[in-house]
Amino acid sequence: MNASVLRPARNRKLFGQVTALSAVGLLALLTGCAGPAAPSSATSGEPVSGGILDVSISAEPGCLDGHGISATQQQFLGRLIYDNVVTLDENGDVAPYLAESWDVSEDGRTYTFHLRQGVTFSDGSPWDAEVLGQNFEHMRDPATKSPLAAAYIAPYVDGTVVDDYTFEAHLAYPYTPFLYTLAQSWLGMNSGKAITEAPETLCQKPVGTGPFTVADYEPGQSISYTRREGYDWAPEWLEGDGEAYLDGVEVTLVSEPVIRHQSLVSGQYDLTENLAPQNAAAVQADPNFTYENLPRTGSPYVLGFNLSRAPFDDLAVRQAFAAAVDTKAVTESLGFGTYTPIDSFLSKESKYYDPSVEGVLTYDPERANQLLDGAGWAGRDDEGFRTRDGKRLTVEVPTVESSTPSPLLVQLQGEARKVGFDVRIIQLPQAQLTELRYAGDYDALAGVWHTNTTDVLFIRYHSSEITGERIGQNSSYVNDPELDELLSTAREADDGPVAEEAYSEAQHRLLEIVPGVPLYENPSQFAYANTVHDVAVDTSHPVPVLTYAWKAE
Amino acid sequence: MAVLRRVLTRLAVGLGVLWGAATLTFLAVYLIPGDTALLILGGPDARPTAETLAQVRSDYLLDQPFIVQYGSYLGNLLQGDLGQSYRLRLPVTEAIGQQIGATAALAAAAVVLALPLTFAVAILSAQRAPWLRSIVSGIEVVLAATPTFIIGFALLIVFSFTLRWFPIGGNQGPAALILPALTLALAIFGTLSQVLRNELEDVLEQPFILTARSRGMRDLPVRIRHALRHAAIPVMTMSGFVVAALLGGSVVVEALFSRQGIGSLTLASVYNKDLPVIIGIVLLSAAVYVVVNLVIDLLYTFIDPKVVTA
Repeated sequence: MNASVLRPARNRKLFGQVTALSAVGLLALLTGCAGPAAPSSATSGEPVSGGILDVSISAEPGCLDGHGISATQQQFLGRLIYDNVVTLDENGDVAPYLAESWDVSEDGRTYTFHLRQGVTFSDGSPWDAEVLGQNFEHMRDPATKSPLAAAYIAPYVDGTVVDDYTFEAHLAYPYTPFLYTLAQSWLGMNSGKAITEAPETLCQKPVGTGPFTVADYEPGQSISYTRREGYDWAPEWLEGDGEAYLDGVEVTLVSEPVIRHQSLVSGQYDLTENLAPQNAAAVQADPNFTYENLPRTGSPYVLGFNLSRAPFDDLAVRQAFAAAVDTKAVTESLGFGTYTPIDSFLSKESKYYDPSVEGVLTYDPERANQLLDGAGWAGRDDEGFRTRDGKRLTVEVPTVESSTPSPLLVQLQGEARKVGFDVRIIQLPQAQLTELRYAGDYDALAGVWHTNTTDVLFIRYHSSEITGERIGQNSSYVNDPELDELLSTAREADDGPVAEEAYSEAQHRLLEIVPGVPLYENPSQFAYANTVHDVAVDTSHPVPVLTYAWKAE
Repeated sequence: MAVLRRVLTRLAVGLGVLWGAATLTFLAVYLIPGDTALLILGGPDARPTAETLAQVRSDYLLDQPFIVQYGSYLGNLLQGDLGQSYRLRLPVTEAIGQQIGATAALAAAAVVLALPLTFAVAILSAQRAPWLRSIVSGIEVVLAATPTFIIGFALLIVFSFTLRWFPIGGNQGPAALILPALTLALAIFGTLSQVLRNELEDVLEQPFILTARSRGMRDLPVRIRHALRHAAIPVMTMSGFVVAALLGGSVVVEALFSRQGIGSLTLASVYNKDLPVIIGIVLLSAAVYVVVNLVIDLLYTFIDPKVVTA
């Protein structure tokens, strides 16, 4: 995620972003909440054209070209101006968007995209096979400085323009998550003309084929979007045709959570993204607002251990720590009741989530004590911390510097202390934390890593993703041949039983390895005034999609 | 001639100050631990490819020794090139240019509010009954001592959250400017008013005031026409403080009121170790300082010609 943004002091470190909902998750959400994905037509009446929607966001990316950033806010901002090659439909399945259809070769290494015709970018240039190729090149061009998109398409070798609207992408090896990643906002399609003529302007004035265009961008302050004339290629799941209803969207950076909440309630903004959990109850209770609390897919919030060094190179110590933490109590207190505890390393909303993993890692302080005794940490020092050979059982957890220490880490510190762990929270500037992270110089790190593909398990726990030349997201340094095998099988298999079996076994294997303590599902929390109707939610990331949203008079 | 030499000397000193500021900032940011290339690429959560990482290091000379980075930086600076923002991927001059108007408007509004308030309160409260003086002085001390963030937050709670007279934040329209400007103005007023009143009280003891009063001049004209002229010089000397309060205060106020401006840019840049922008802002602040002090210096000569010969 893009560190580049002003973060509210309470914002805990995130490992990442991307996201999606499985069919099961979506059902749960449709019954649990006020039907965010399906436009709530029953109460909203006939759509009205016009008006500007005022939105406040918690951070702004500094650059609006999804290919060049990893900011979480791109999930929302990207949907305004970009369209993607494919989309994930209401069931979380890959569906047509700028590509009408695609074929995958037998060996899983060639993807042939049949593109939609008649689509244009807002600069008037056409969408065609050549432009798709240009976009792949732009994502991986080192000059783009891509922190995310390039890695997602890393298996892409080259492409062939078969004809104007047919493009063949050649991959180095079978990589089924390819289509899922193409549905993410970071991989939205830029104008080929802009990429060729003025790539340096894409950050400030990106040009897409989406329902809105960037009219004005004031870095650090606001982004004004205007309705795109002639837009007519929204994905089917949005259940709409033609141009957006809103004249425009005015997005303003309001970094203080209290102010974001107050200015929503006072009517200064119609919608706010990243509503703070401490304000959620108030907004939820207010009949003038719609509040959404949607789980993101990918990796839930995990305190990840560093398996490459003591004390967490010892399985018993890892199991002991996991057993020492009352996840439910911690989650309840942190999220003011809006967070859902989880005991898996995969979010429940992710495709191929296997519920049979539940209950394996449980809160059991007695067992934690036994495990530590057995692992030789039987001594106690003056302060009550466990020792072995005169050395204290210390765990260093670096985190981003803020005015108050992360409440999550403080709670974990308290929980672990009960069985004798000395958890030390080390607050560092972002730059220094990044370097520590790169060097692997920590005992544990807390964070999430969202993506809309179950391949997140590969990204987080496959040995090839251990930090080496670049930052890898396997920050736990998990290096397990059995798990590697399962994750490779899963990403190479077609969507279906083989992948399902492999992902299920991988989830179980992770519970044997215990690369960390899974804590809670990291939700997307947003709210809007009830004068705003038909706010849709993407299954790639549970953020508001405003294409066919409208404002009542 | 004396005035010209004075200006030239001041300018030379000013350039030296700018060079020193650029060098110190460069050194300070260079010495902050942390890998700038990784930060440019999105921090610990990103997954840059090895090629991208190498490209970033070479683009920004991050693979070069300090002396090469510093030399290249100074060389560019001499040509008026402040470099490229790491984060915004814009020329620094453009990044600052986009924000400077908003901060200038905020600062100007704060001064417009602060100065009349300062002069009115100081003139009216000097040499008054001890209880009145204590109350006024007490308010000033509280305002001067309270962090800007708290003043701003209090104003927000009263006038935005509760009374809803003003918008909670943003840059839209004059209404959105009032509370942030007032926040800055109150902090400046708290300090300046105390200084001005003490000076006025000293001056009001002077024999020439007695002379003026004995000629039958009324109290207020005495204070404004005679005393103020003499008391104003120490206050003007404090303009350095005012400039610092405006620049520093804008960081807090802009963040609190979700305003665009140099303050917000500073915060984001420091957070991201966006070295070129940070140095650009430091240079800009130093330049403002130098210019303001030069102007004040010259103004002295008009208010009190003795200053030049002294």
